[in-house]
Amino acid sequence: MPSPAPRPVPRPDVYVHTQPFWTGARERKLLLQFCTDTGQFQHHPRPVSIHSGSRNLEWREVCGRGVIYACSILRVGRPDAAARLPLDIATIELEEGVRIIANIIDSPADSIRIDAAVVLAWDLLDDDMPYPAFKVVG
Amino acid sequence: MQQNIVIAGYAETPIALKTGRSAFDLAGEVFADLLAKTGLSPRDIDGLSATLPLSESGNVFLAAYMADALGLTPTWLNASGLGGCSAVGGVARAQSAIRDGACKIALVISADAVSLSGPGHFGAYRAEFSEPQGVQTPAAAFGLLMSRYDHQYGLDPTALGKIAVTQREHACLNANALEKLRKPLTMDDYLKSRMIADPLRVLDCVMFCDGANAFLVMAESEARARGLSKMVLPTAYAEITNYAGDQSCPDITESGFWRIGPQVLAKAGLKPDAIDMFQPYDDFTIAVMMQMEAFGFCERGQGSAYVLATDLSYRGALPLNTGGGQISAGQPGLAGGGLNLAEGVRQLFGEGEGRQIADPKTALVTGIGTIPYGRNWSTSAAMILEA
Repeated sequence: MPSPAPRPVPRPDVYVHTQPFWTGARERKLLLQFCTDTGQFQHHPRPVSIHSGSRNLEWREVCGRGVIYACSILRVGRPDAAARLPLDIATIELEEGVRIIANIIDSPADSIRIDAAVVLAWDLLDDDMPYPAFKVVG
Repeated sequence: MQQNIVIAGYAETPIALKTGRSAFDLAGEVFADLLAKTGLSPRDIDGLSATLPLSESGNVFLAAYMADALGLTPTWLNASGLGGCSAVGGVARAQSAIRDGACKIALVISADAVSLSGPGHFGAYRAEFSEPQGVQTPAAAFGLLMSRYDHQYGLDPTALGKIAVTQREHACLNANALEKLRKPLTMDDYLKSRMIADPLRVLDCVMFCDGANAFLVMAESEARARGLSKMVLPTAYAEITNYAGDQSCPDITESGFWRIGPQVLAKAGLKPDAIDMFQPYDDFTIAVMMQMEAFGFCERGQGSAYVLATDLSYRGALPLNTGGGQISAGQPGLAGGGLNLAEGVRQLFGEGEGRQIADPKTALVTGIGTIPYGRNWSTSAAMILEA
């Protein structure tokens, strides 16, 4: 049986401090950057709050519920994704007012559409590293 | 009274695949051609704006090395790092530099050779948040963008097909277009073309190629003193980067053109119906349609109906990318932003040959640069040229 294609775990902390995202993901908790000045989340992580410009940022867990804001089926991809094609991809708008791009997994094809309710699921990268994905609420 | 700062010369190499040449070598070819066309010598040029190409990404000395490669000694040097807006942005900055007295004659040059080297690597690139899900490609980002547009407004695939078919007809008339794309396309070909990221088809997309283009910017009086009789005047320019960059949940069907489109038309004192040709940056067909809406050629969300009802050929009501655009002539990496500018200048010079628009007076040229995480494109730039 051929071994599954590698899904390398990216290196954290490359351009800003992202380790809390990965530490949280290891425990299957989705932690995103939160601006304590304005009470708003942001994603992807930045060196400052995009809402206030300050570094008053912390990492908070989000509830994992949201809706599909945009979705597509990727049929051609870079080599690292090729083994998983076709691949359901979506921009998820979380209840906390922030968006994250993720794969949709474990969901019937006809259920994957804009405005569908989704919940956090976990996909596995190499080394059994959980990575956030979403599934449609049945 | 401010003097007119004009584009008084342009040159463009043919677009080719896998040349094995460097951006510098392509730049040399287009530079020599530009000198031959205008009769200028390298010593006449004292300003240089060099587009940062993908194939030289990481080369922070690109602009100075370009001066060295071309034998120039500029008193004004600009590394234009606006992605697909680098050519129009370079022209606008050159105009300012000339007005400020920093130089008299500026070369705005873009050359890239990406068909072998592929894209470079970028510092703040968000690998952690896009590679595990396989969404790091521009096609994935545009598939998502198109899905949202379709949800909000409805997207007729035959409208995007018409853009692809019309631009292909134009490429067939453009000797500089990539040879393998100089074959007519039917609507059936478009609709049957392979899905890349639904609803994005392969014929909605550009192909990475090699090529170069260059422009000479100077005062109108300088151009006339040098016997250059053909010139176009950029009468308005606007750009914006990281549109909605302070929001976590912006409407991604809205781009920076929603802000700068009306601005640039107002600056030129023109209504959309006074635009004789539209030469928009076209990395994907949907970007063309979204720009038509933002500039007010039609109402928001009415892009499909407008495209289907409008003759977009070089003989039509709104001639669109009359050289074929990047989608049909080929995208010479980040020199691609100069392709549509060169075509606008060429048409206003009356050098459009078999695709010449009848007596054009105005052109609208745009650029797009960089695709951010989960939002619309980053930089939008627009320039109006008048004969």
